[in-house]
Amino acid sequence: MMRWDFDKITQEAIKEITACDDLKNLEALRVKFLGRKGLLTEVYSSLPTLSAEEKPLVGKNANNFRNKITSLLDERRILLENTSTDIVAETLDVSLPGIAAPVGREHILSQIIEEICSTFENLGFVVQDGPEIETEFNNFTALNIPADHPSRDSFDTFYLETPDPEQKDRNLLLRSQTSPVQIRLMKQFKPPFAVVIPGKVYRPDAVDASHSFVFHQIEGLLVDEDIKFSDLKGLLTAFCQRLFGEKTRMRFRPHYFPFTEPSAEVDISCYICDGKGCSVCGRKGWLEIMGCGMVNPKVFEAVKYPKGKYTGLAFGMGVERMAMLKYGINDIRLFFENDVRFLKQF
Amino acid sequence: MKLSLNWLNDFVRHGLLPEKLAERLTMAGHEVKSIDEIAGDRVFEIEITPNRPDCLNTLGLAREVSAIVNKPLVLQKLKTIKIPKTLCSVTIEDRSACLRYVGAVVENISIAESPIVVKERLQAMGVRSINNVVDITNYGLFENGQPLHTFDYDKLIGGKIIVRRAKAGEKIVTLDGVERQLNPSILVIADAERAVAIAGIMGGQDTEVTAKTKRILLESAYFDPVLIRRAGRALGLTSDSAYRFERGVDLTNVDVAAKRALSRLLDFAGGNIVNYRDVAVKKTVTQKQFSVDMKGIGHFLGTNISAVQVKKILGKLDFKVSGKGECLKVMAPSFRSDIKGAIDISEEISRIIGYDRLDSSLPQIKPSAIVSSERFQLKRKLRRILTAQGLDEAISYPLISRGAIEKTNVADLPISRVKNPLSLDQEYLRPSLLASLLAVVNLNFNHGQKNLRLFELGKIYPPAGEKEVLGIVLTGNRPQNWQINKKETVDFYDLKGIVVRIFETLGFDLPTCVLGKKTIDIVLEKEKIGFLGKVSKDILKNWDLKSDDVYYAEIDLEKFYKLKPQIKRFVSLTDFPSITRDVSIAVKQDVSFGQIESLAREIGSTHLIAINFIEQYLGEKIAAGQKGLVFSLLYQSSQRTLTEAEIAPIHEKILQRLSQDFGAVIR
Ligand SMILES: [Zn+2]
Repeated sequence: MMRWDFDKITQEAIKEITACDDLKNLEALRVKFLGRKGLLTEVYSSLPTLSAEEKPLVGKNANNFRNKITSLLDERRILLENTSTDIVAETLDVSLPGIAAPVGREHILSQIIEEICSTFENLGFVVQDGPEIETEFNNFTALNIPADHPSRDSFDTFYLETPDPEQKDRNLLLRSQTSPVQIRLMKQFKPPFAVVIPGKVYRPDAVDASHSFVFHQIEGLLVDEDIKFSDLKGLLTAFCQRLFGEKTRMRFRPHYFPFTEPSAEVDISCYICDGKGCSVCGRKGWLEIMGCGMVNPKVFEAVKYPKGKYTGLAFGMGVERMAMLKYGINDIRLFFENDVRFLKQF
Repeated sequence: MKLSLNWLNDFVRHGLLPEKLAERLTMAGHEVKSIDEIAGDRVFEIEITPNRPDCLNTLGLAREVSAIVNKPLVLQKLKTIKIPKTLCSVTIEDRSACLRYVGAVVENISIAESPIVVKERLQAMGVRSINNVVDITNYGLFENGQPLHTFDYDKLIGGKIIVRRAKAGEKIVTLDGVERQLNPSILVIADAERAVAIAGIMGGQDTEVTAKTKRILLESAYFDPVLIRRAGRALGLTSDSAYRFERGVDLTNVDVAAKRALSRLLDFAGGNIVNYRDVAVKKTVTQKQFSVDMKGIGHFLGTNISAVQVKKILGKLDFKVSGKGECLKVMAPSFRSDIKGAIDISEEISRIIGYDRLDSSLPQIKPSAIVSSERFQLKRKLRRILTAQGLDEAISYPLISRGAIEKTNVADLPISRVKNPLSLDQEYLRPSLLASLLAVVNLNFNHGQKNLRLFELGKIYPPAGEKEVLGIVLTGNRPQNWQINKKETVDFYDLKGIVVRIFETLGFDLPTCVLGKKTIDIVLEKEKIGFLGKVSKDILKNWDLKSDDVYYAEIDLEKFYKLKPQIKRFVSLTDFPSITRDVSIAVKQDVSFGQIESLAREIGSTHLIAINFIEQYLGEKIAAGQKGLVFSLLYQSSQRTLTEAEIAPIHEKILQRLSQDFGAVIR
């Protein structure tokens, strides 16, 4: 009786190899069957002890077995190599964090300013800026704000101890709006132009969760010979739909600003509840996001543009408010505290 | 302003559900903030814009509603009263502060409760019912907007009314029981001896109408808005009357309102009018007639509106409109001082029609005469460069306290002060960004965040000016990750690396660092454009920062904005091999690497294409006063393969000169 039942051994080897699904175990099988201390070596080394009729038969069976197993192992290895990776052999915890160069964040207010300005740049506007320290003329008078208007009081505007070099009996002030930049630009340039102006503005409001004595505004101004009220509606609709999504609905509510006439406040349909009413929009379905209007002819008069030659549209929005609405931030002080846990969130 | 819908129904039959009416008013410029239900009535809380004081009463809002729904406005007719010819004593001393004063004395009145309807309406307005006389004055204010006041006539010394400025040191106890110090900036109503009311704001307790009152003097007046506002602010006192006087009441309504109140008074409280006086500097506001070209308005709005519709709307709003065709002559009513010309008419028409019903178009935006701000563009780039190096952007308060300035040791810098600071924490315009950023570091330290890499693009304020600067602060450990987690503290070189990277990325010439007196100066083309260094122990202690290593750099962006990038030319990529030679030397500590670098460049000429610094070591491995420097020199030609034989003499010469010029020992 033969010492090795090659049929059985082959059957079992085939079973083991086809069941093997990882390269490491496959290598172990190769060693088991074909290796130096494996089955085949054992068979070959026992050949001299066999009888003359057994020898060729066993030798032939062993060769068949080697060929069969070798090709099976190769096939299996190629299959496994294609379905896994080489590094399977390492101990890899793929859930560990990856490693990347450290990266910082632009302040959330810078991000919002960037988003708004670039939207307007895509609509054909240019970005401009101007000083925070202003004259009463630029901040109020030229903007058609009467001399005795409450907003000029020291309750509503920060004045500096420094006198205004152009009007010695007046002091310089910290601008309470970005609109004086409009005046500066109009004094210097003739239309047509389309500008957006981001910047800090100051108002003496006691600091709490919803008030700050400094905040950011973005102001826009488009002046040409034939700008219409319908353009104001169209332009701001295009802007809001780009910024808040195509489906955004708009509402132009008449309002009052001394430097525009007609004036409006712009509401957009609440993007949280889609206008159905939620806590963010105070159950109204609308979010107030900016003020706008047609430039009051008095403003053109103040910058000495020829009477009746130009018309224009202007708009302005609060950056902090936009950020608070967009991200549900509930305290305006967070913007200026710069806790890195806050900065890193956006 | 509160609007009672029951009351409104007396004036106009609008036929709208409350929610719909609220929406229409909102869309006509009178935003309804909330709708409350009070005792079977619906009450709107409406935000009235400052240009529309005429809408601070029910009649005014009813007029708006009548225009919006195109229904007639009806003013309730009261019993006519007989005005006696006898005069009461009214003197206006300050004729610019009081343009009109109507006084009327009523005798034999009976103080009682008000009729139910009056009580209900006052309740809807959020006002407590007091008695029939006082309630009539409040009713009048909410009905037609004219504030009224009643004095107990028997308590007016000399039976006199004098409108004058308060005397210095004069005092009055107002109806709320508070004694108030007056001064000549405040207008008062006085009798023969003393102030009996703060004009337009609040009456005095001494002359208050009580249950015992038999004779009253009714006041209806026009006071200067600015004067009333300033007095109110100075006294910290406001009232429904003051709110309306500050915004301007209708001069022509002063006597009309007085007569309506007198009629109600006789009706509710009985009595008879014994004398009456209307002292007027001016009795009416003259409105100018102007022409309105409907074609022009249609063009301006981008929507054509018919002259017929315009006439209808303006008529409902009490404007006088005449003229035919496209050109109309328009005159605003006396209470519409906000209307000055055709542009205002375009707003009136469009808001009554509804902005939403007007056309929308996209403007043709032509190339601007104004160019985009280079500053803004450069700041955009700076943010990108700095965040790419792991720095977070901070935005801090530009107004800081004296304390913050002193703690930062910058009190010697000239500073600008705010004249009317809200608090001492925001009294000065910061002279340095460091003070702001140290406050940020402090806050983060307090929250356990010790590893900080921050920058701010902010303004600092030398007296009467402002300039933009970039501030960078580094503290704590260098960025780590879970594979490289050796804790290393940041140092000067981290900061220098960031600063140089900015110039490099923008294609500017690279700045050099020069030791200055207190800081290390960042110098470019012999001009100082910033500084950097370690924040001194003193300052850290002042700010209570428990760290030895806080580094700060500041770049003057005003100078930075003037820099121009170098013109870049393509350098062809060479395939010829390069030869690298490492050099290790020991030199005296006062020899800088910069000196070594420039010597090597001078000798190495065009063959030496790069010098890479590898290491500096100090301490045990090297003699006292010496430092070890390791760097490599890279030789390459773009035309041919350099041989060792060609390089050797150059390299040897560099080494030789290093020992000769700087006493370097080659190791
Ligand atoms: Zn909502």
